[in-house]
Amino acid sequence: MRKLLGLAGVAALVAFPFVFTSPYYLHLMVVVAIFSIVTLGLDIVFGYTGEVSLGHAALFGVGAYTAGVLAFQLDWGFWAALPLGVLVAAGFGAILALPALRVTGPYLAMVTLAFGTIIAILVNEMTFLTNGPLGISLTKPFFADLREQLPWLEMSRPRMRDVEYYYVVIACLLAVLVVISRLLGSRFGRAFEALRDSPIASDCMGVSVYRHKVLAFVLSAGFAGLAGVLFTYSEQYIAPNNFSFDLSIQFLLAVTMGGRKSRVGPILGATIVVFLPNLLADIDLFRLVASGIAAVAVVAGVVSAIRTPGNRLRAAVPVALCLAFFGFSLWLKAITDYKLTVFGLMILFVVYYLPDGIYGLLRQGLARLQRRGGKAVAPSSAWTAPPVLDANRPLLEVRGVVMQFGGLRALDRVDLTVLPGTVHGLIGPNGSGKSTMMNVLTGIYVPTAGEVRLEGASIAGWKSPEIAAAGIARTFQNVQLFGELTLLENILVGLNHTYRSGVAEVGLGLPRARREEAAARARAMGLLHFVGLDALADEEARNLPYGKQRLLEIARALALDPKLLLLDEPAAGLTAPDIVVLMDIIRKIREHGITQILIEHHMDVVMALCDQVSVLDFGQKIAEGKPAEVQADPKVIAAYLGGDHAEAAHAEG
Amino acid sequence: MRAHQFMLTLAATTMLAGVASAQPIKVGLTGPYTGGSASMGVSMRDGAKLAVAEINKAGGVLGRPLLLVERDDEAKNEVGVQIAQELINKEQVVATLGFINTGVALASQRFYQEAEIPVLNNVATGSLITQQFLPPKEKANYVFRFAANDLIQSAMIVDEAITRRGFKAPAILADSTNYGQLGREDLERALGKKGVKPVAVEKFNIGDTDMTAQLLRAKEANADVVLTYGIGPELAQIANGMAKLGWKRPLIGSWTLSMATFIDNAGPNGDGASMPETFIQVPNTPKRKAFIEAYQAAYKVDRMPSPVSAAQGYDSVYVLAAAITQAKSTDGAKIRTALENLTAKVEGVVTNYDHPFTATDHESVTANMPVFGLVKGGRVVPAHDEDVAGANALRLKSK
Amino acid sequence: MQILAQLIVSGIAVGMIYGVIAFGYQLTFATSETLNFGQGEALMLGSLVGLTVVAVTGYWLMLPIVLAFGLLQGAVVERLGVRQAIKTKSESGWIMATIALGIIFKNMAENIWGRDALKFPSPLPETPLSFMGVNVLPMELVIVVGALGLMLAVEAFNRKSIYGKAVVATAADRDAAGLMGINTSVVITFSYALSSMTAAFAGVLVAPVTLTGASMGGVLGLKAFSVAIIGGLSSGMGVVVGGLILGITETLTGFYLSTGYKDVPGLVLLLLVLSLKPAGLFGRTAIKKV
Repeated sequence: MRKLLGLAGVAALVAFPFVFTSPYYLHLMVVVAIFSIVTLGLDIVFGYTGEVSLGHAALFGVGAYTAGVLAFQLDWGFWAALPLGVLVAAGFGAILALPALRVTGPYLAMVTLAFGTIIAILVNEMTFLTNGPLGISLTKPFFADLREQLPWLEMSRPRMRDVEYYYVVIACLLAVLVVISRLLGSRFGRAFEALRDSPIASDCMGVSVYRHKVLAFVLSAGFAGLAGVLFTYSEQYIAPNNFSFDLSIQFLLAVTMGGRKSRVGPILGATIVVFLPNLLADIDLFRLVASGIAAVAVVAGVVSAIRTPGNRLRAAVPVALCLAFFGFSLWLKAITDYKLTVFGLMILFVVYYLPDGIYGLLRQGLARLQRRGGKAVAPSSAWTAPPVLDANRPLLEVRGVVMQFGGLRALDRVDLTVLPGTVHGLIGPNGSGKSTMMNVLTGIYVPTAGEVRLEGASIAGWKSPEIAAAGIARTFQNVQLFGELTLLENILVGLNHTYRSGVAEVGLGLPRARREEAAARARAMGLLHFVGLDALADEEARNLPYGKQRLLEIARALALDPKLLLLDEPAAGLTAPDIVVLMDIIRKIREHGITQILIEHHMDVVMALCDQVSVLDFGQKIAEGKPAEVQADPKVIAAYLGGDHAEAAHAEG
Repeated sequence: MRAHQFMLTLAATTMLAGVASAQPIKVGLTGPYTGGSASMGVSMRDGAKLAVAEINKAGGVLGRPLLLVERDDEAKNEVGVQIAQELINKEQVVATLGFINTGVALASQRFYQEAEIPVLNNVATGSLITQQFLPPKEKANYVFRFAANDLIQSAMIVDEAITRRGFKAPAILADSTNYGQLGREDLERALGKKGVKPVAVEKFNIGDTDMTAQLLRAKEANADVVLTYGIGPELAQIANGMAKLGWKRPLIGSWTLSMATFIDNAGPNGDGASMPETFIQVPNTPKRKAFIEAYQAAYKVDRMPSPVSAAQGYDSVYVLAAAITQAKSTDGAKIRTALENLTAKVEGVVTNYDHPFTATDHESVTANMPVFGLVKGGRVVPAHDEDVAGANALRLKSK
Repeated sequence: MQILAQLIVSGIAVGMIYGVIAFGYQLTFATSETLNFGQGEALMLGSLVGLTVVAVTGYWLMLPIVLAFGLLQGAVVERLGVRQAIKTKSESGWIMATIALGIIFKNMAENIWGRDALKFPSPLPETPLSFMGVNVLPMELVIVVGALGLMLAVEAFNRKSIYGKAVVATAADRDAAGLMGINTSVVITFSYALSSMTAAFAGVLVAPVTLTGASMGGVLGLKAFSVAIIGGLSSGMGVVVGGLILGITETLTGFYLSTGYKDVPGLVLLLLVLSLKPAGLFGRTAIKKV
């Protein structure tokens, strides 16, 4: 079905120049295609990693000026400009992403804005290179003159050139669509979404947030650069003021309006943004479109009112707004003066009522007709060969670790020795430093002092992804799933380490990349099966009930093939039957030779599962030993009673 | 598409039912009607509309009414390009008037040239505008101009400053857009011809509110006159900044010093600024008097926002109408030929057009035509008494 | 030396303008972690409304009216643009919505007051005062004093009043503050109102020096945004210092380096601050909690 639609789309694009012979529409289509390439690329950053970039016009401009400067200074043509434009823009994307190491949200938006402004100033000032404000003119490339071979085409030379160029741009757009779809459907796309939903969990799954953020910016910039080159040769004249801040806003709006995280959305958005000035230049056309919108809104409103009677009032508001908009269009005498207001109102409407954009709405409708179903994947074994470890050599050694936050000492010279193949309990009252210890072990905090050794190698001061790669996986006290990814995809993020193929291989769809993806999917199904969630593989993780979320987190952590698994209160919030399932899972994990550290308040769980228990209180280790010994230790009882009666009672029971 | 074209035609015909039942002749009108240079765009538009209304009232051209298809290019190159294609291919205009911003003109004119549709530039001044498509490289040049280009203006500015008023150490302050920077180059070249080197060349951005750094640099270089290339609001900041620093030097610059945004915002600080002008709002010929009065009545203003733009916009319509009449056709190539060999004499506001263009000369304004205007008490008046009346009042193109 | 002093004085005046607008960003960011990308337009509206009112009432009487207008305008922005996004925890919704509102406000202003820059009558004489060869306009002194005064007043209000306590609580933990019976959405609305009020005040403060008009907000809003980031979005002190740094850097670069590159060092400084101390010069770095 999807393929058929896609083919129909391609056929329509190919036929376009023969149906619409007006150069005006041909040029509009070229601009739509070029803007689509930018917005598709922007969607990587904006839709997938969730960062707002106000600098994409500048990246687009870098590509355009690469082509312009090459032609102007060196007389190099289109084919040299194409790859160089992509590379130069990608390089600038990398520079732009460097400060992204430490910032996010509005701060990152500001970085991109400042970057865009600097580029604009440089292009304007560096007259010796860019010809400054005067701009650069060049001519469209002319590839082949087929007029004699195909006389029935009846084309003049300029039209021939325009049509040829149209096909070049369309070919680029289709190539970009294929590459982007492959990349975003691969581990890279999942990593981008993962770092948006939970950066910390991404890092702890060995998916470096920083590296992938830079990658997202570089890819996105590369596409913007490609579009820039195409733009230069389409317009044949570029000047610094082509690439202003306003254009960045337009790109963002295109993605928002069309619909994020899709291929259709950005293209739809680019089309709207390109056609909008035409629409808003002509009052009659505007009224026509406004009446169309109102009619669609009324129909949609009536349909939804019949379907869900309880929702009538809420559905009535947007319908009324659409009608009011039509009234406004009738009231207006001239559109030019109010076109920005109309533009702004449209954005507001989309933000309010179409948070997933126009395509999001369409997709909802389609989803009702056709259940979303992933391809059924046969599960393979969840396990790789168990880690071979010397049973007498400690797997993890913690020596004198201190963690200081300002005046607060969250961990105070704590020692911990965990033997391979054991389940090591870590208990203590709330605020005793258990979770801090977890964060130190996984590199989220760098300890103020002390040693942490994994199989003898010091890992204190390592970054989270490095520690994850070294073999420590974890779950989180407050569940940190990648909410908008499916269960299967959540596991696949954990399996990121099993891939060897790079961006280029994935983008080109080479066999190794396909093979790795198939293997990872099968293994991920196996892991889901292990925790009993395989039936829900294609559900989004945020829709899972709490208990199942915890199980999913464990499966995701296991995907790392860890030597050591840290479970941070896995039973918290679980119902009694769920706890039984959980305990069974923990036992099975131990049977596969994976060492575990278990933080838990449910003492029955701790007593039943742990080989060894350490007790923390106020950041200090106060007891250690077999569960029964620890339970009888007066210091431990005092700590619990002094801390929290209920907890102590629980410990007693 | 068809429905909307039908509606447009319907609207046009009902509006002009009294004039002629024939199909209107569509003429494109493009300029910035929003944003920073809107006052020039809107004055140009209003001037042109005035002329079209008069022509249609008198029976139109070739028995058909003129219809202006107005489009706002927002002073943005890419919008200008889209509009050019729309006007050519969708609206199928016979010619296009307009362009305020040099960059927009440079980006858009190519499409008219390829479609062989004449462009009558009536405000943009970049020297390059009429030089983009010169024969013999191209078959014919379709770009004409009704404004005093930057070469003329810069030469006049330099002449006024160095030769007439005897300044020795000019400083140049120009904005960072292509208007300002192209003008700055022309100024430097014109100064070079006189063997003078500017003592300081400074830049400012659109929207800058503090000119201290630029002015101090000029002051430190001991400039005795400041030559400007920018637009109204920033020019006003320069005048105000001079007052603040207590460093008053004469301002001489491009015609934008006559913009209302300069005069109003600089207030008394702007008095004495002078600039070359093709038209000053002074009723010193009957045609000018009639034009000023008609404009004031139609748009209910006393002082035109940009008299130069309005007058050039107005004149360009009349010259185009004469060319269409002479060509007896709305074909672009024929109109171009008629423009290049215009036999009818057209009485205009800026000048009287007698063979304004030839195949190789597409500038209707020559160096002898603009006069120097002077800001005085919130208005622009002729700077030199000899320009006000007599033989010098209406200047004709030198052959 | 005299030139340096003159440049610094001019830089201070410009910097205080940036600072007082940036202060508005900081107010809303504290309560809701969102900010109004149309802050420049709030300033523009304040100044244009002031221009209309000043003809009737005179400069000083106009101030309270403009302040009231600013409060109202900010509340409208929050209600229309931000609340929905906060409710749905949408990260980009508020950015888009406040940009859209900014566009609408600007277009409305163009239709009401025209598209040209307008002269704002100065309440004080426009002849410069001279201190040892350094010239300064009386209005520039008013800008510095007024901006500082307003920021101190808002800070004092935040610290002393019960509303201020609610703001601090909301800033620390919105959910917990909500559970404690603080109506956090009212607090957020009010912070937006206050933020636009400072912008509107800044508008009438600077208009006699900078001219007013529908397009005055854009550049100032962006500059102030970078000031807020340099100084730190969590520090009122930071925005003042950030503003001064940026203002002085601009005039000094313009004079000593090149007026063409005037804006570059400020932006480079911004990027440096963000890569070395992302919370801003005066911002507090939060501890990640897992």
